[in-house]
Amino acid sequence: MSSLLDKARLMMNIHCLGRNLVTASSSLHHVQLPGQKEAHFWYVLPDEIKDTNLLNQYFEILSPSEKENVFRMSGERLKKRAILARALVRTTLARYQTNCQIDPKALRFKKNSYGKPEVDWQYTEDWSLPQLHFNLSHTSSLIACGVTVGSPIGIDVEEKQRRLKNDVLAFARRYFSPDEIEMLTQIADPELRRLELIKLWTLKEAYVKAVGKGFSNSPFNTFTVRLGHRTKTGIHLRPPVMSKAQEITVEPPDESKNVSGNWQFVLLELDGSHYAAICIEQESTNRGKGSIPVNLKLRKTIPFVEDECILGTEKAVVISGLTTLLECE
Amino acid sequence: NGFLYSYLHLNHLSRQVLTGSLQPGSVAPNSVSLSIKGRRFPSITLQPTGRRFQVTCATKQETVQKVCDIVKKQLALPEGSSVTGESKFAALGADSLDTVEIVMGLEEEFGISVEEESAQSITTVQEAADMIDKLLESKTD
Repeated sequence: MSSLLDKARLMMNIHCLGRNLVTASSSLHHVQLPGQKEAHFWYVLPDEIKDTNLLNQYFEILSPSEKENVFRMSGERLKKRAILARALVRTTLARYQTNCQIDPKALRFKKNSYGKPEVDWQYTEDWSLPQLHFNLSHTSSLIACGVTVGSPIGIDVEEKQRRLKNDVLAFARRYFSPDEIEMLTQIADPELRRLELIKLWTLKEAYVKAVGKGFSNSPFNTFTVRLGHRTKTGIHLRPPVMSKAQEITVEPPDESKNVSGNWQFVLLELDGSHYAAICIEQESTNRGKGSIPVNLKLRKTIPFVEDECILGTEKAVVISGLTTLLECE
Repeated sequence: NGFLYSYLHLNHLSRQVLTGSLQPGSVAPNSVSLSIKGRRFPSITLQPTGRRFQVTCATKQETVQKVCDIVKKQLALPEGSSVTGESKFAALGADSLDTVEIVMGLEEEFGISVEEESAQSITTVQEAADMIDKLLESKTD
């Protein structure tokens, strides 16, 4: 005779089976939640998605207001990007449901008091993972979504080839902190200087988005990001030697220079063509003790079609920030 | 891809027209004919809704025009792209880096200085133009 628990499981499985038959999400591969000190980074390359039927599937899981927003975009390319961005967020979060598959369409979003998007758990049916945080970023050629549990996250992606309309130093003088301007001025080669600016930009964006209080509350010229020295691979397969030089730090200018704050950064180069910055909050117990690497699971995805775990090949290189790239399950 | 969006858009718009929720200022084609899988459908004519007449006395049209030009240049928009006061930067494809570069361009063009707090939070051409005119006004005070 089955125990009550077995009966409950059986009922849940039947319930789940019923739902899976009904929802389109049954082809989304379920994944484990990120652990402590762990971030998941999912990205999609719009140029790889050409199937109209697939785009239609993505469009269908969007909310009415998201669909409205797609129509407001100017031109086919931007409309496609808007669809992919929302579809990426919805399908990514739907994978973390621990019981049965959640319908990505069922997710409801809201904005915090500063305008940062987050999941509205109150109105998302059947599922509650209030500790799940996410952040989205896109360029024309790459759209990414970062996920954490129990820690705010901010991400930013940028094309390495991004050309500024303004002179790099003029731009830095207008927007960056004095120390960052100084650092950039020291770089003689204009191309290297431009690349360094792009890296700093993504890190600063990721930081402000992680803090989640809007750009007006953390103007870029009020904090300094310092990139540690470049290591050969930056990938650690076992506990690394703690080296301050490998860290990325952020400094509010009015605090002592020895305090690095709560935030931990990772800077990646993806596909040789993009910089991706990730910023998460460090546990308070680790503050000031030197850093433990961020565990990172990196996945390239075509939602509903295929996922690829990226493990330190030429597809992804850690440029700076203590990171351990994990195998996905 | 053009077909997909026309189809979705038409579907969406016709629902809006039927429920009376079409937003003023929406671009609604008067008639669209679709050809799906070789079958031709009769042309569908939508009655245009009355457009609400928008009056912006406070902002000079000249300012709006200059902002549009700077935005077009920053975003390298193709000739003939429609950029108006209502245009949202994000809808034109601007990311935050574009936005701050646009602000720099505006500062140069108008000889103004935009506060840090405002620089990254401007989202439309109209907002930018309003801010510029306000700054220019306070300069002459």
